Amino acid sequence: MNRIRFLFANWVTKMVTYALRLVKSGGTSLPGKLALKLYPGILGELSGRFKVIMITGTNGKTTTSRIAASMLEQAGIQFVTNKSGANLSSGVISTLVGALSLSGKPRVPYALLETDEAAFRTLAPRLKPEIVIVTNFFRDQLDRYGELYTTLNNVREGIKGTPSTRLILNADDSLCASLADKVPNTVIFFGMADGVYPQTGTSLNTDAAFCIRCKTKYDYSSVSFGHLGHFNCPACGYERPQAGLECTGISSYDSQGSRIEITGPDMQLSVKLSIPGLYNIYNALAGAALGYTLGLEPKRIIAALQDFECGFGRMEAIPVKDKWLKVILVKNPTGFNQVLSYLLTQEGSCVISFAINDRLADGTDISWLWDVDFELLSDMQDRVRAFYVSGIRAEDMAVRLKYAGIRSDRILMEKSFSLFLNRALSATEEKETCFILPTYTAMLDIRKILRKRFGLKEFWK
Amino acid sequence: MFEIKICHLYPDLLNLYGDRGNIIALTKRCQWRGIQVSYHSISLGDTFDPEAYDIVFMGGGQDYEQGIIQDDLMGEKRKRIIEAVEGGKVFLAICGGFQLLGKYYRTHDGKEIECIGALNLWTHGGSKRLIGNLVFACDFLKNKNFDGLVVGFENHSGKTYLGPEVEPLGKVSKGFGNNGEDGFEGARYKNTFCSYSHGSLLPKNPALTDHLITQALKRKYKDFVALQSLDDSIEAMARESLIKRFSA
Repeated sequence: MNRIRFLFANWVTKMVTYALRLVKSGGTSLPGKLALKLYPGILGELSGRFKVIMITGTNGKTTTSRIAASMLEQAGIQFVTNKSGANLSSGVISTLVGALSLSGKPRVPYALLETDEAAFRTLAPRLKPEIVIVTNFFRDQLDRYGELYTTLNNVREGIKGTPSTRLILNADDSLCASLADKVPNTVIFFGMADGVYPQTGTSLNTDAAFCIRCKTKYDYSSVSFGHLGHFNCPACGYERPQAGLECTGISSYDSQGSRIEITGPDMQLSVKLSIPGLYNIYNALAGAALGYTLGLEPKRIIAALQDFECGFGRMEAIPVKDKWLKVILVKNPTGFNQVLSYLLTQEGSCVISFAINDRLADGTDISWLWDVDFELLSDMQDRVRAFYVSGIRAEDMAVRLKYAGIRSDRILMEKSFSLFLNRALSATEEKETCFILPTYTAMLDIRKILRKRFGLKEFWK
Repeated sequence: MFEIKICHLYPDLLNLYGDRGNIIALTKRCQWRGIQVSYHSISLGDTFDPEAYDIVFMGGGQDYEQGIIQDDLMGEKRKRIIEAVEGGKVFLAICGGFQLLGKYYRTHDGKEIECIGALNLWTHGGSKRLIGNLVFACDFLKNKNFDGLVVGFENHSGKTYLGPEVEPLGKVSKGFGNNGEDGFEGARYKNTFCSYSHGSLLPKNPALTDHLITQALKRKYKDFVALQSLDDSIEAMARESLIKRFSA
């Protein structure tokens, strides 16, 4: 009986997926929702059909998934992945069902799944992943989950249910590293070697300044950003674990990317990353750790890191006539701060715009904008032709910029995305870049307009 | 020249949801008027001398972090805070800070955690989080040019109740407020102002910000009359767009 229900759910879900594609809807979670309705036990049926690699954590999931995909390609492994950030249970199910034949057999051996932290709790014990990568824990959409520690515990619970999974964890994040506590799993840590990124002291506003075990304030011998760094607790001795895979040198770092040294067990890699930003070095390390776990040769790991496609809306440069449009998703203070420090590496003039929505997928609370260091931008405001604000919460963003020291006459508001794109682009001069920093649903809306106007490829492909 | 000294209590622990936006708003609105401002942080192990400051701010924290401050807060600092509140010092306390100024917090499973007790109010942990946009009317801000409406965002599971000496900060027109039952939001006692509206409470509500600055300057300087007005058109736009959106 269950086999029949499973096959029926499989067929209907496939038909709906095709129908949605025909009407050119990017709907990536509806088929999964339907499959769950038709057959609530479908997850159990799906597990065991694929070798699963899951990627979770608050920041960098999508980029890390892209790098992981590149690793699998280098390993010659065929896999299915949830490409467009459909990372809740429904999206994961849509992806897996989509990779089944009509008779319910998997068409590829592996599934690479970017997974939301709350969904991870239930999905991991069911899907029994071979490998789990956890990127980091920063405050993110707290109105949905309550607290950062709730998010951490969701992942911890998920891991408890799958003791034979190999874990790839961020050593520099005291919260993430604590997932290795009291679990039988094999763990490989990645991180930045002490002092590679020469910044000292954490900012006051960090997410985890106090020891997760004994609540004493950590000491840091070096900090890369946020609460990431070489922490140690002076009271109980909890400290940043030894990392199996470390970035031991950053020889160049600019708005185009970076050149880094990675030291691992029996390997020394020199890699040119074409994605800028310090946070992407962490994502690359997580990806390299996956490559190492899969047994890839060093030269294949290098190849995978050097050529992978940038994630959905994460940092894509779109040529528009003689100008560039760069869309960078923003969703929480740490990620946003990293984007701002990337903007500061820009030479010459540009236009900077913000598209802030407060729908459920963005987080209905936009107070976090006050935890972002927009003050950094006030020093470069003379190089910025205009600061545009758009989206449902455009006014809030305008207030934030004003209090960050941006002159009021430089802050221009246009709530309609379509008009805002026109105005922001026409304010951008030849060969310059117009940066658009949208929240998630604002990005979807803006992509839709860009697709119509400039024929961008559909994102679910 | 006037000067305002702002004290931020436990900024490294109570810093949830953009609470520092309140400090930024107080600072900027003083600076724009040529009032000198200084910022001081007081955390674990530091001595807190309220007389050294004009405005004291306490934000909210996650349960984990609020647990860390308990012992430190309930020692010498507790006594100093009670005296300062009674003496009419200007305090702004948000969310967790609001709850901590009260008498106790009773958790959902019945455990009673003693709090500072500077204000006659108390909090009962609820099973459901009260989350969403908040609009409330503050009579003390109302005048012929201003409707007294304040906008914010709340996110709390504790339900707070006020004793007879404590006035609510405002009356809820959209959202839950203190407990989702009596229609009140926040608390006001002498010059202490409490609210569940976290993060960007002051930036979008310059009338409230200016009220706090005015109270602090009045206490400190005999020759202070009133604040000069500022161009608040961007703030007004943000506030009014939310009022409009949630009154429909």
